[in-house]
Amino acid sequence: MSSHKAIVSSFVEGAPPGEVGHIQSLTISSPNLVSELGPAFQKYNEEQFTTVKLPGSSQPVIISSHSSLGGNQYYDIESSTSFTFDHTTQKASAVESYVSEGPSADLAKSILKGLSIYVKEHFTNAAYGAYPIESDSKVAVVIVANKYSPNNFWNGRWRSLYIFDPSTNSLEGSIKVDVHYYEDGNVRLLTNKSVAASVSSGVGAGVAKEIAAAEKKYQEELNRSFTSLSEGAFKALRRQLPVTRQKIEWDKVASYRLGQDIGGGAARR
Amino acid sequence: MASADPFDSALDLLRRLNPKHTAAHLANIIALAPDLTEDLLSSVDQPLTVRRCKQTGRDYLLCDYNRDGDSYRSPWSNQFDPPLGSGLGGVGPGGSNEGAGEGAVPGERVRRMEVQANEAFDVYRELYYEGGVSSVYLWNLDDGFAGVVLLKKGSPQNGSSSSGEWDSIHVFEASERGRTSNYRLTSTVILSLSTKGASLGEVDLSGNMTRQVEQDLPVDNDEGHIANVGRLVEDMELKMRNLLQEVYFGKAKDVVGDLRSIGSLSEGQRERETQREIIGSMRR
Repeated sequence: MSSHKAIVSSFVEGAPPGEVGHIQSLTISSPNLVSELGPAFQKYNEEQFTTVKLPGSSQPVIISSHSSLGGNQYYDIESSTSFTFDHTTQKASAVESYVSEGPSADLAKSILKGLSIYVKEHFTNAAYGAYPIESDSKVAVVIVANKYSPNNFWNGRWRSLYIFDPSTNSLEGSIKVDVHYYEDGNVRLLTNKSVAASVSSGVGAGVAKEIAAAEKKYQEELNRSFTSLSEGAFKALRRQLPVTRQKIEWDKVASYRLGQDIGGGAARR
Repeated sequence: MASADPFDSALDLLRRLNPKHTAAHLANIIALAPDLTEDLLSSVDQPLTVRRCKQTGRDYLLCDYNRDGDSYRSPWSNQFDPPLGSGLGGVGPGGSNEGAGEGAVPGERVRRMEVQANEAFDVYRELYYEGGVSSVYLWNLDDGFAGVVLLKKGSPQNGSSSSGEWDSIHVFEASERGRTSNYRLTSTVILSLSTKGASLGEVDLSGNMTRQVEQDLPVDNDEGHIANVGRLVEDMELKMRNLLQEVYFGKAKDVVGDLRSIGSLSEGQRERETQREIIGSMRR
C-alpha cells in the first residue's frame, strides 16, 4: 500500500496547471487514500503557488511555504489575514485578522506596492505576495498567473519566486512556465530560468523594477527560442517536403533505389 | 459516473501527465492496475527502440507488433532475436501472450508486400528524414491485411544546445473489396524538443498527437496497396508536421502571451479605445 501511495502522490505532484482535481478523481478509488495523500497535495499547492479566494473577498491569495504559519495555516500581508487551507479541496476557511510587524514586514509592504503596478500592467489574471523570511532577514516575493481554458484543451501557468536580501540588495529567483495542450494528444511546455539581479535604488519600487525587467527579458528570450527550435531542431528531424520539393511518386517507388536519382529530382548524396 | 472504466481513466491520466515520461507513468499505472497491462501496452504509444539486425546489420524498430515474448522480428531478415524456441522467449512480462500480430510471421503474400513496403519506406525515410530508422510490419487479416509503419529520427546536440527526437507510429488496416480497398489509418507522432542557454534557462517541449483517417482507394495489385498506404502516410505526416508546428511553436507561445503580456496592458487598452473612437467618429 505504501508504494501505491507513493505512485499516486507522484501523479498528484506532476499534475498540469488546473488539472490536479482530474488527477485526483482518476487515481483515487478509496477515500482512505485521500487522507493519506495530504502531504502530496500540500507539496503540490506550495510548489505551484496555488491561489485561493478567501470567503467574502475577490482578491486571490497565495499558498506557498513562505506564506505558511505551520499546520494548514497561511497568511497574506496585503489583506492582513490568516486562514486555514484544506490542501485536498483547495478551500480556505477560518479567516482571521493577522498583522505582520517588523522591518521586513514594512519592506514587504513597500515591495507589494511596486509589484501591484507591475502585475496589473502585464498579467490579466495573477496573484502576488511578499513575505518576510529567515528570521525577518529577507523577503520572499511570489507571482503566479494562471489561465485555464479546458474547453479549448489548454491550461497554463507562469510562476516566479524571488528572494530579496536587503543586507546585500541582491535579488535571486526563478521563473517557471508550464503549458499543457491536450486536444487529441498531450503536449507540455516546461521551462525554468534562474534570475540574479542587484537592486540599486529605492528598495520597494526597485525590487519590482528589477523583477519587471527580468521577466520582460525572459519572455522575449523564450519567444525567440520557439522560433529557433522550429527553425533548428524541429526542421532537422523531418523535412516538410523532400529536397525535390515534390511528394513521392509511389507508383514508381518500387523502382527507386537509394543512391540513385530519385523522381527526376536532384537527390544529393 | 461513480465508477469510470479503469482503462479509460488510465488513458485520461496519461493524457494529462508529463508526456516526456510516459513510459514511467505507464509502468506506475500498471503497478496500480496489473489487469490493464496488455491493453495499455498495446494501445499506448511510446518512443521506439532501435535494434541492429544480426543477419543483415541493418537497424530496425521494436514495437508490440513484431514482438513475441522477449523476441523481436527483424523486417530485413524476417528472423526473431533472440531466436524463438531458444527457451528465452514465450511469455511476456504481463504473464500473457496475446496481442495483435504478436509472434505472427505474415503469410507468404503479405510477407512479400512487407519486404516491398520496407524498401519503399526506406526511400521515404531518406527523402524526408535524411537519416533515422524505418520499419514496416504487416500481418494477415480475414478480409485483407494490416500493418504498422514506424519512423524514428533523433537530432543529437551536435554543438548546438538544442536536441530533438521524432517517433512516428502509423497503424493501418486494409480491407479488400474487389477493385477497391478500405484503409483505416491511426497515426501518432511523439515529438520531444529541448534547448537551454545562459539567458534562456531550460526549455522542454514534449508531447504526442494522434489523428485518424479512413479512405476507399482503387487498387489493382499488391504494389497498388503499398502505393496507397504510402500516400496515406505521406499526407498524414505532412498534416501532422504542420499541426505539431502550430501547437508546439504557435499555440505554446500564444498561451505564454495570454499568461503574461510583453507590452503594457493599460496602453493596449488605451490604444483599443482610441481605435474605437476613431471608428465611431468615422461612422458619424
